[in-house]
Amino acid sequence: MIVWLSVVILAGFLLNVPRINILEHTARNLYFHVPMWFTMMAAVFVSAFHSLKFLQTGELIRDIRATQAARVGAWFGVMGLVTGIFWARFTWYAGTKVWWNFDPRQTMAALQILIYGAYFVLRSALHDPDKRARIAAVYNLFAASTVPFLLYVIPRQMESLHPGADGNPAFSEITAPIMRLVFYPAIIGFIGLFWVLYTQRVRVAWIKLRLTRDPEL
Amino acid sequence: MEQAMQAVQDSLRNAESVATAYDSIWGGTSPAAAPSPLEQVMLSNDKLFVVLVVVLIIWFGVIFFLLRTDRKISGLERSIEDRIYEQDDEL
Repeated sequence: MIVWLSVVILAGFLLNVPRINILEHTARNLYFHVPMWFTMMAAVFVSAFHSLKFLQTGELIRDIRATQAARVGAWFGVMGLVTGIFWARFTWYAGTKVWWNFDPRQTMAALQILIYGAYFVLRSALHDPDKRARIAAVYNLFAASTVPFLLYVIPRQMESLHPGADGNPAFSEITAPIMRLVFYPAIIGFIGLFWVLYTQRVRVAWIKLRLTRDPEL
Repeated sequence: MEQAMQAVQDSLRNAESVATAYDSIWGGTSPAAAPSPLEQVMLSNDKLFVVLVVVLIIWFGVIFFLLRTDRKISGLERSIEDRIYEQDDEL
């Protein structure tokens, strides 16, 4: 996994990219900014899956897995948002002082992260592990169900600088073949990174559960 | 689809130094204000440093997350030591 991502980063910098106006080298950010969001969506899926399983079986380990997937996923979302802000500031908004432009996809993504932030606040408000797990699992399923709408459906309907939005050709139409060569492995690599961080935290939370009977990390 | 093909063909027709069918040259207006020092650095070298900043954000983000997990592990190690210490006291 480390080797995989190292090669992705090397390829991201060393291989050629088509030189497009305004973007120039920052087209390479495709390999870094976009996989953050793919990883967050994978994390949301994992988290929702475990929440559902918890509601079916009541095993606390499922709740641990759901929480930690949400935590790592939310962190990847934050990184995606911050990388997007920096990318935009020095390319499309060079010369202006604009850091945030209420682009639909950007705003919906921030909203999505806030929804997951509320999930963590909800968890911290409840103290009994079983009750907390059950209520949090229900909220998690609701939060996960908003993801396709906020991150996929709405941004595509509105006018936006992001590819796939109204007035912009979708990603697959404008991507040079050499970029796909790095882009798809980058997605796999970052989802692999998510998996490493996620399973690490699940193990720590499990140890905490055995020691203190309260697995909240 | 036709829009994209049209844009590519237009850029090929206007091309002076494009190498592939995906390259294009900006024909619009330049930004109004003079670039600040920070912007001058970022926009140099065809904006390569923007890519560097993005990768560094991800790098430090992952490191930060790892350190947080490490701190939780340290806390757990401490509570194990306390637990063993307490059990010794009961003897």
